[in-house]
Amino acid sequence: MDTVQLQLTRRHFFSRTATGIGTAALSSLLNAAGGLPGMPHFAPKAKRVIYLFQSGGPSQIELFDYKPRLQDVAGQEMPESVRKGQRLTTMSASQSSLPLVPSRFSFSRHGQSGAWVSELLPYTAKIADRLTFIKSLHTEAINHDPAVTFLQTGAQIAGRPSIGAWLTYGLGSDTENLPAFVVMISPGGGGGGQPLYDRLWGSGFLPTRYQGVKFRSVGDPVLYLSDPDGFPKQNRRLYLDALSRLNQMKLDEQGDPEIATRIAQYEMAFRMQSSVPELTDLTGEPESTFQLYGPDARKPGTFAANCLLARRLAERGVRFIQLFHRDWDHHGRLPTDLPKRCKETDQPAAALIQDLEQRGMLDDTLVLWGGEFGRTVYCQGRLTKDDYGRDHHPRCFTMWMAGGGMRPGITFGATDEYSYNVEENPVHIHDLQATILHCLGIDHTRLTFQYQGRHFRLTDVHGAVVKPVLA
Amino acid sequence: MQSFILGLVLLWAICVSQADAQVRFNRDIRPILSDKCYTCHGPDPGNRKSALRFDIESSAKADLGKGRFAIIARDPAGSELIRRVSSTNAALRMPPAYAGHAKLSDLEIDTLRRWVREGAEWESHWSLIPPQRPKLNGATHAIDQLVQARLAREGLTLSPEASPATLLRRLSLDLTGLPPTPGELDDFLHDASGIGHERAYEKQVDRLLASPRYAERMAVLWLDAARYADTNGYQSDGVRDMYRWRDWVINAFHRNMPFDQFTIEQLAGDLLPNPALEQRIATGFHRNHRTTSVGGIVAEEFRVEYVADRAETTSTVWLGLTTGCARCHDHKYDPITQKDFYRLFAFFNNVPEKGQVYNFGNEEPMIKAPTEEMSRRLAGLDAKAAAAEAAWQALQPKIAKAQRKWEKDIAKGSKAQRAFAAPPNRKGTRDPGSRRAAPFCASCSIDWTVEEGLLLHLPLDGEAAPLESQPGKIGGAQRFDGKHFLEAGNVARFNYLDPFTISAWIQPAAPDGAILSKLEDYMEAEGYGLYLMDAKLRLVITKRYTDIGLRVETASRLSLHQWQHVLVSYDGNRYANGVSIRIDGVEQKLNVLFDDLNYPLGNDEPLRVGGGGGEKLRFRGVMDDVRIYKIALNAQQALSLPVLETVSQIAAIPASRRNPAQQAKLRLCFLDQYAPGEVRLAQELLQLAQRERKQYHDTIPTVMVMQESPGIRDTFVLKRGAYDAPGEKVTPGVPAVLPPFQKGWPENRLGLARWLVDRGHPLTARVTVNRFWQMLFGTGLVRTVEDFGSQGEWPVNPDLLDWLAVEFMESGWNVKQLLKTIATSATYRQSSQLTPALLEKDPENRLLARGPRFRLPAEVLRDQALFTSGLLVEKTGGPSVKPYQPAGLWQELAGGSGYKADRGEGLYRRSLYTYWRRTVAPPSMVTFDSPNRETCSVRAVRTNTPLQALNLMNDVAYLEASRKLAARMMRESQGTTTQRLAYGYRLVLSREPKPQEAAILLNAYQGFLAYYGKNSAAAVKILSQGESPAEASLDPAEHAAYAGVASLILNLDEAVTKE
Repeated sequence: MDTVQLQLTRRHFFSRTATGIGTAALSSLLNAAGGLPGMPHFAPKAKRVIYLFQSGGPSQIELFDYKPRLQDVAGQEMPESVRKGQRLTTMSASQSSLPLVPSRFSFSRHGQSGAWVSELLPYTAKIADRLTFIKSLHTEAINHDPAVTFLQTGAQIAGRPSIGAWLTYGLGSDTENLPAFVVMISPGGGGGGQPLYDRLWGSGFLPTRYQGVKFRSVGDPVLYLSDPDGFPKQNRRLYLDALSRLNQMKLDEQGDPEIATRIAQYEMAFRMQSSVPELTDLTGEPESTFQLYGPDARKPGTFAANCLLARRLAERGVRFIQLFHRDWDHHGRLPTDLPKRCKETDQPAAALIQDLEQRGMLDDTLVLWGGEFGRTVYCQGRLTKDDYGRDHHPRCFTMWMAGGGMRPGITFGATDEYSYNVEENPVHIHDLQATILHCLGIDHTRLTFQYQGRHFRLTDVHGAVVKPVLA
Repeated sequence: MQSFILGLVLLWAICVSQADAQVRFNRDIRPILSDKCYTCHGPDPGNRKSALRFDIESSAKADLGKGRFAIIARDPAGSELIRRVSSTNAALRMPPAYAGHAKLSDLEIDTLRRWVREGAEWESHWSLIPPQRPKLNGATHAIDQLVQARLAREGLTLSPEASPATLLRRLSLDLTGLPPTPGELDDFLHDASGIGHERAYEKQVDRLLASPRYAERMAVLWLDAARYADTNGYQSDGVRDMYRWRDWVINAFHRNMPFDQFTIEQLAGDLLPNPALEQRIATGFHRNHRTTSVGGIVAEEFRVEYVADRAETTSTVWLGLTTGCARCHDHKYDPITQKDFYRLFAFFNNVPEKGQVYNFGNEEPMIKAPTEEMSRRLAGLDAKAAAAEAAWQALQPKIAKAQRKWEKDIAKGSKAQRAFAAPPNRKGTRDPGSRRAAPFCASCSIDWTVEEGLLLHLPLDGEAAPLESQPGKIGGAQRFDGKHFLEAGNVARFNYLDPFTISAWIQPAAPDGAILSKLEDYMEAEGYGLYLMDAKLRLVITKRYTDIGLRVETASRLSLHQWQHVLVSYDGNRYANGVSIRIDGVEQKLNVLFDDLNYPLGNDEPLRVGGGGGEKLRFRGVMDDVRIYKIALNAQQALSLPVLETVSQIAAIPASRRNPAQQAKLRLCFLDQYAPGEVRLAQELLQLAQRERKQYHDTIPTVMVMQESPGIRDTFVLKRGAYDAPGEKVTPGVPAVLPPFQKGWPENRLGLARWLVDRGHPLTARVTVNRFWQMLFGTGLVRTVEDFGSQGEWPVNPDLLDWLAVEFMESGWNVKQLLKTIATSATYRQSSQLTPALLEKDPENRLLARGPRFRLPAEVLRDQALFTSGLLVEKTGGPSVKPYQPAGLWQELAGGSGYKADRGEGLYRRSLYTYWRRTVAPPSMVTFDSPNRETCSVRAVRTNTPLQALNLMNDVAYLEASRKLAARMMRESQGTTTQRLAYGYRLVLSREPKPQEAAILLNAYQGFLAYYGKNSAAAVKILSQGESPAEASLDPAEHAAYAGVASLILNLDEAVTKE
């Protein structure tokens, strides 16, 4: 099957590289060997993904999942008939009281679709007709690390490849000058929030070249990208020419194709020294861009700046672009802190959709917005007149998706009156993952990798494509 | 570009491509059956779709009814297996199209057909049959015979030996992780001309194996397998300190500890009879796994995860089996049941450990792990303290005598005073001399209370409206009405590691109420408080009430409406067993309600007396004389505190009639205030010696170790692997398919370790020698070094693997000897020169018709740069160090204050000492494919990416090394520019450049020089990389130009490659 063909490709590659490196191989040096043969499995709707990960778990109750009847039961104890003995985190499991608390922010309907969106997200509300809301997502994990890991890798325990690594492994790269999988992080206003970790965009047991490359807002966007002070480009060229000639001599004498690869990788590094600064240099963007994304887009490291960079990466053929915005973990002080996160993310996320649309790229770009789980309808900690918090809630949460392959202007799935249990059309994390792969033309059951004697896949042995949300 | 899956197929293709060779079940057939059939026709009953199994011969060849058989020997056409896999009818074809499976390849079908035609001979899985020493003939090196035999079948031969320089560089990098110096190379060449090449080479092998660098090199691979790191992993990734275990590993390799002992001590050193400290430190191996301190977790879920990690790591490292696959269900490919997994799990399930661990250091069980030097120093301090104690004891008769005299003196004064019957009043003053109102005779009435560590004293004597004042135990007292409380400001801000003592007289009028608190006026808030709850005295220290805190209460109730003295002390060690509560001086039995205090508290609430638990918990009753100490009072001090009689009054009581509390107060007062100078000096010396000893003891590193709980924690099969779904109860045991335990082996980790290194064990030796082979040749003889099961690779040369395994065991598991045996073989010493024919035939060099050639591991790359530039600081062991790292990497993921690189030698230690934060691993290590230390990793992975090029060219570590290497070229070589450039080549590559190479180097040098000659500011900038001092005596333009070439040399393919 696939591996046999791969072997042929590889041999072919070797025989070529004994005398020099072919351009086809060159284009894929940064990433995979151009993806797997037979990929994609069928015609894709989306060529790339921009995943706006809201780390910490935004509250569905304040943002999307409108529950007016909660006002009537505010302050009452959480009914056991709703909770049904399900496990809670130990942060609230032994809390003496679990009072229900409604959203203190108002909702209204937007667009022709009439989607309910909170007053906290006015820009998102304006583009509601372009979005597909899934209100019935649910996960198995109740804490951040396992929950984010689950979304990213299909398993709660670390060690498996991330979704971006799987896509890069399967589909290869569309760019000669940039990595195929790029990650950018914004800290959230207070700079706090749950920590992230490099393995979330790691390659797990896939070869490390498939891992996400983190673009940074401090220092070099890519680690070690800049030549040192006092070593101008002319020196680097001279250096690389000499290095290349010496390595070529070695190749001629020794014959190891690894040497040819190394020569090409140094040239790729040199190209990245131009392509990455060009990418991150926003001086060429017109004023209208910054009006669209908001003033934060001029500040490196903000979610707004990263959204703009995401569009620029998408334009340049990067396959999987993932943004993480931190600090959505509102165990307490939710009425104060949640609006801040919304303010940081609402306009840029909506701008990204509009910008992609204006450029004709929304049709083949899949955009996702969401966290790792939802939040509880009952108050965590002390409920006062002005303050409340919400604990982690895995049983239901909301995400929105847009663009390539999605049916816009619909809401899929529904929760009960407490936004506690899914009542209609549950979507499991593995279903979401299967659906993402489907939009990219991949049958999630057939993108596998053999490791420790087992054929692993992103969706483990589960997952079903959520067909009703597809265009 | 390497990809390890491809090789599997490739090798298999090599194996079956020989038309003349017989098809063998284990090599050729089992991999097909395992990969394509076992999911439904294999060991896992949960997934089995039919009674027909291809993992068991009797089932595979059984009558299927109606005269049909899956396999009929020598009759492929009659065998259902062959008919079904080759069927063109999709409805009949196996593996089934309806389940999405692809058809077998023609090659696979043909191989199955040939096997059936040749007799369908079955074999047990190869790795489960104990290795036998293969027969050898001839006198040549055994390894070479076996490799030659394999090559001969392919029409290949060994390549000629590599040049001495290449060979010595290969050997040095392999055995020590550092290249040879030009001097070492000269010695080798010189030696060879004297005693001959063979003996000279052997001497080099011996020299390198004896070097401490060898141990450091070997340790790295073991640290990867042991998932060693300096932080806990998971989300909060707090610090831990396991370097004493890491140093144990280095020491074990240096002393060439036999691998069986190495195994036993790490898995079960604590269970050996009278284990030495080092043997207990060794058990840190199985405490290296990740742990979590994240709030809100279900602790048991993670504790189970730790135990499973130990079982899986043990399997990977020693058994080469993927038993982890059987955690949720029976293994789908190998004969390992889910029960087998949990029996293995049971060996590691009896550790007294927590699922949620401490985030700021090591977690129990742990031990102090002093180095020998520390032990010596500690022994010295112990002796000093013992001497001070002896001197103190020797003084006791003298003290007793002096105290008796003093008692008599003050008793007289007391009697005199009593005659005038002045009411005692010791409030509002701390001076013992003037504490009493003593209107007639200042010296004749004496009293004393504990002053040591007193932070706050609230006598509660005055008016504090709306509270009522009334007479109390000592002067006035406050009556609390259950509505109002007192505030004393933001004082007594004790954190979770601060000791303290709180005492008060109380006369409660209700069973519930706050005595004293420092938290938001809400009992579940962050802070600490002392409460009466259902008349029991309760201490609460809270970070987050639901999961982080400490709560203890007295077993018995206090009496209402009666005065009682309450005293609570906490020793600052964050455990409930450090809390002591006394009522009227009597130590109370305590019930521990919650014992998980592991995080700093923050609160700026005022100290409240009589409040701090909300409106329902306001104190009702009378309270008097509240005291807060910043130390945990000792027993004598605590005993003395409620004594109301003055010192003078006690002294007046005949000694035989004083109670112990009175005795204590009297003695403490005497020692504190009235003892002769000699006694006070001896007491001070004793306290000083004890304090010094304690302070030093506190600095001694700890290490987390394995330990057995007193009882046995039951182990159950966990359904679907879920911590909360116990099934059948199991006992410790080993997989049934492997040899059984021998009688006399205990059924614990010690027995398990002995079983693993038993001579009859089929796996441990094979798996271990295969890892060493991978280290030297880049790929194991079994490429899947972590999987010797059905889905693993068939060994490329089974006889060689078995020979090495048997040799290893029979040598007494002698690691250095094994490495020497391999390193002296012609196979190892071959040139790595490639030819187009070899590349075509065996691109990945699995058959070994040439020497190994592959990119150096991450740590060797950096160490080589430090070493050749002269920057390397060689010092074995000690705490981890923080070399350069790009700014901001830690903050952008986790916030906080971020990474702070060391100054000085910490920048230049070997890379195995680099601080390893699991969630943000050192970037230059990970970029070069270092395992991330999250879980056990034994497979070498090598990629070739542009990020690596950027790292080697622009990382300050390599720029500084280039500057220093350039300085060496300029200083140590006095000749022409060409000679200096050649010297740099020699330092890194162990050879001179060829003329054409020299010309390219010179050309680059001149180009750089031309630039820096005109741009001196640029030269200064490029020469300011790194913390090491500048070379002021060198011409900046020349130095900068040499530095450019030095960087270029360090970036050469040949420099980053072992040839």
